[in-house]
Amino acid sequence: MQLDLIGFTKRFDGTPVVSGMDLSVASGEMIALLGPSGCGKSTTLFAICGIHRIDEGRLMFGERDVSGLPSQRRNVGVVFQNYALYPHMSVFDNIAFPLKVQKADKDQIRRRVGEMAELVHIETLLDRRPAQLSGGQQQRVALARALVRNPDVLLLDEPLANLDAKLRLEMRSEIRRIQQETGLTAILVTHDQVEAMSMCDRIALMNNGRIVQIDGPTRMYRDPMDKFVASFLGNPPISFVTPEDLPCFGAPKACAEIGLRPEHVGPQFGTGLTGEVRFVETQGREDLFDIALPSGRMIRSVQPAGSGLRPGQTVDWGYDAAELLCFDRQEVRL
Amino acid sequence: MKRMNWLGLGFLAPALLVIALFFLAPVIMTGFFAFTNMSTATGITGGDYMLNKSALRALGDAGLPDATLEKLEDAGYAVDEKGLAALAAQIDQETADEFARLHGGESFATRRDVERALKDLRQNRIRKTRDRKAAAELFKRSVLNERFGTEAEFRAALTAGGIAPRDHDQITAQAYTGWVWTTENVELLFTLPSTWRYAANTAIYVAFTLSFNVGFGLFLAISTFYLPAAQAATFRAIWFLPRILPPVLYVLMWKWFTWDTGFLSTVTGWFGMSPKNWMLDSPTHAWTTIVLINGFVGASMGMILFASAIRAIPASMLHASEVDGANRWQQVRYIILPQLRWPILFTTAYQTLSLLTSFEYILLATDGGPGRATEVWALAAYHTALNNYGGNLQYGLGAAFALVLVIIGILASLFYLRLFNFRQLVGKPLIEG
Amino acid sequence: MRHNYRNWPILLVLGIFSTPLLIMLVFQVVDSFTLKQPGSLIPSGFTLEHFRFLWEELDTGRAGIWRVTLNTFIFATTTATVVTAIALTAGYALSRLNFPARGFFLAGLIVLHAFPTVTLIIAIFLILQILGLYDTLIGVIIVKTALELPFGIWIMKGFYDTVPWEIEMAGVQDGASRLRVWWQLVLPQVQPGLMAILIFSFLSGWSEFILPLVLAPGSDAQVLATYMQALILDDTKADFDLFKAVGLFYALPVVVIYVIFQNKLMNIYGGGSKG
Ligand SMILES: Nc1ncnc2c1ncn2[C@@H]1O[C@H](COP(=O)(O)OP(=O)(O)OP(=O)(O)O)[C@@H](O)[C@H]1O
Ligand SMILES: [Mg+2]
Repeated sequence: MQLDLIGFTKRFDGTPVVSGMDLSVASGEMIALLGPSGCGKSTTLFAICGIHRIDEGRLMFGERDVSGLPSQRRNVGVVFQNYALYPHMSVFDNIAFPLKVQKADKDQIRRRVGEMAELVHIETLLDRRPAQLSGGQQQRVALARALVRNPDVLLLDEPLANLDAKLRLEMRSEIRRIQQETGLTAILVTHDQVEAMSMCDRIALMNNGRIVQIDGPTRMYRDPMDKFVASFLGNPPISFVTPEDLPCFGAPKACAEIGLRPEHVGPQFGTGLTGEVRFVETQGREDLFDIALPSGRMIRSVQPAGSGLRPGQTVDWGYDAAELLCFDRQEVRL
Repeated sequence: MKRMNWLGLGFLAPALLVIALFFLAPVIMTGFFAFTNMSTATGITGGDYMLNKSALRALGDAGLPDATLEKLEDAGYAVDEKGLAALAAQIDQETADEFARLHGGESFATRRDVERALKDLRQNRIRKTRDRKAAAELFKRSVLNERFGTEAEFRAALTAGGIAPRDHDQITAQAYTGWVWTTENVELLFTLPSTWRYAANTAIYVAFTLSFNVGFGLFLAISTFYLPAAQAATFRAIWFLPRILPPVLYVLMWKWFTWDTGFLSTVTGWFGMSPKNWMLDSPTHAWTTIVLINGFVGASMGMILFASAIRAIPASMLHASEVDGANRWQQVRYIILPQLRWPILFTTAYQTLSLLTSFEYILLATDGGPGRATEVWALAAYHTALNNYGGNLQYGLGAAFALVLVIIGILASLFYLRLFNFRQLVGKPLIEG
Repeated sequence: MRHNYRNWPILLVLGIFSTPLLIMLVFQVVDSFTLKQPGSLIPSGFTLEHFRFLWEELDTGRAGIWRVTLNTFIFATTTATVVTAIALTAGYALSRLNFPARGFFLAGLIVLHAFPTVTLIIAIFLILQILGLYDTLIGVIIVKTALELPFGIWIMKGFYDTVPWEIEMAGVQDGASRLRVWWQLVLPQVQPGLMAILIFSFLSGWSEFILPLVLAPGSDAQVLATYMQALILDDTKADFDLFKAVGLFYALPVVVIYVIFQNKLMNIYGGGSKG
């Protein structure tokens, strides 16, 4: 089911929190709503599932305008950040709840819940209470509950935020698998760029209540529209220098700042960029260097471990000129 | 370590003192008083020794020989100070003086003898027969109707009256006017038909009021939860008023509402009904009013407790149920109510006990009326011991009524101790001192 | 508020249920200040005549209103102060200090807190008679204090429980005695609790009816509650306008306090008192 959000605006107490947002998600596509804390991701998600009223704009599920409908009649499945499982119900009853309130008959409920349990691999947990489950298991129950009604759209609000690092990796691929198996249109809210890039077909990057750029992960990383996008994506983050720091690089006239990603700085790119090593962070497979340029600006570089460089040493490295990102004074990409 | 102990006990001491004196002592004393026959007649401190007609009758029933009874009633006539003083008051001083001069200290066997002596006075003869009869009566000395402060005096009087010593104990016990230990009250509780009536009334009162309190409290909490903040606050404030207003005033408002010149009568008057007192005209109306009066107050406690419990439910859980398709009724039924189980249990337990024992609003509203239709157990205890129309306050019996409630109260409070998670409360102080 | 559901059905039902209460409240105020034709509910004019009890004696057998008001005020303030003072130390002891049989005292506190005090009224009546405190204001004050204490201590203990241990530990580390830590570091943290108990016991004392009725029925120790009830019972022809004016006068401090401290009061009443 195709989802279109057109000119969506949401105000709290008169202050707009999201203004004039357009978003369209193709049928079967999984899109990430990514952005810094407080940029309006949850607000957008809640507006889509009907918990918040849409102050301005329209929300279309396929040909259907659902803007004025209450949550109950939108047929969306939502996985909440803290899962919001009903603590007084068994896992079975939790998953069955959306069917039960529709007064579906018992056999159908049992069959459907069975299917869902199988899909998310929790067949053996159906009699337990949520409190008796691990975080990952709760997550699966929440997914099953969101999917049991055959929703038109699946919404996930930071579904992995409460999991430890290992589980997070596992659930990432689980969620993606389930989304692809069911062929659902899905929106994933996250502030974790790795999550967004690894799970989703496209990313909608938000800032201050607006979408700054929508693109596939690779495209967005390599071809950011402005400085915000460039600096938000990438870990370790991008460094910014002025054209004067790179005299050999023929920067365009309007260029006010140049972005240099850490993996594009190093001895393998020749010489011409001298500086002093200030700080070395060992990350196991790689080392991360903070290098002070003669102007005082800092740049970062990632290198395979084992260079033996120490803080205080001076290096003369090069950069990948093809990958430099130029921005004008308005921080827009040139 | 030692110092710490003293600081703790010192901090606690004032509370312990006051509580022991006016909280624990009354609990124990209720037990004691319940097994006495204290009443207005017996007083609450010691008593005197006095025989009266009904005591004689009781002694006769108990098998004391008639001869002894007669002796008790009639111990002859003696010209003594007391009689002379009475004579002076009734006739005049000179008569009394002369009588004292002639016959002071003498005893006479019968009234005729005294009358003769009075008739024979020289200067101040009493002429009228009726006056002489009355005057002679002043010198009658009998144990009957005379008050003795101590047991010894009473026994001396008995000896003087020639009563056989073996009867003294029985007579003394009967003559004692103070209170004595007895199990009569408890027996009365189980035999009086009105006791069962009060128990039944109490059951009705608690059952209906409690259902109203919890049900309506839930309704208020849930309905205000669904309203915008300002509206919700307004309704909560209104419904909190019955609790905060002084009971006397609050019940007055109800009295006006139901009085024969009040609101209901006026409004029904517009439709041609004759005015009546809607509170007291029938037991059903009386009960309805009582339940509403208490219920409007009690519901606010439920309202507050339930409302804060509802607020404690994570918003995302409510959001989830809405997204899952629950309508309002389903949200209340499946999500909110199950999570209020504990506060509902607590409110029910707490209010059961306080309703069982409270009588303030009933006392103010119907005072147990009409008839005894709304007389509950606690009110009966109050009426028996502290305020009744007969005027003889039966402290002992009232205490027996109260004792039943005190015992229920103690058992129920111990039960709450288990309800509250006690060990959690007793968490040890972190600074060991 | 949940916008997925409509408001008006709720408003409607709540409104209907609240009507009797609202009628009583509105007419309580309106009738105190207005004249009405018999059999009518609509006021026909403003008057202060119903407040005549303030400047003239209603009847000779009764103490004057100002004397009674003073009694009530003394009763309520003394009770409130004493309860607060005692609860302040006892609550701290139960919450924070180590002493023998602490668990027993805590258990006792819960039992007393739940215990229905009205059942003791007969025994208390007799004890006061024996002590010679019957029919005195001081007697009622002591009794009211004792009965109010468990609740006060309970609430106060709750407030002490929320003060972080770290504050006290730091104080003790800095070399202050526990007494001083309590006085200088902990007490300021529990000021809201202190206020709450003060207000609560004041209101409770101001409204108390049964205790003065039973323990001090004489005219010297009369308080507004018993004064008003006696007035209502005495009159052969019920003059509700007068009663309401007296009631309004009586309830004025309560209403003022309620308006100022509404939220605080709701919280503390949630701790449970009268059913
Ligand atoms: N109910 C509300 N009332 C007023 N302001 C709100 C409300 N909910 C959110 N906001 C404001 O709206 C803005 C966007 O909030 P939102 O929850 O959508 O952020 P977010 O992108 O989800 O952030 P996070 O990553 O921290 O969850 C924030 O500035 C927040 O303070
Ligand atoms: Mg969020």
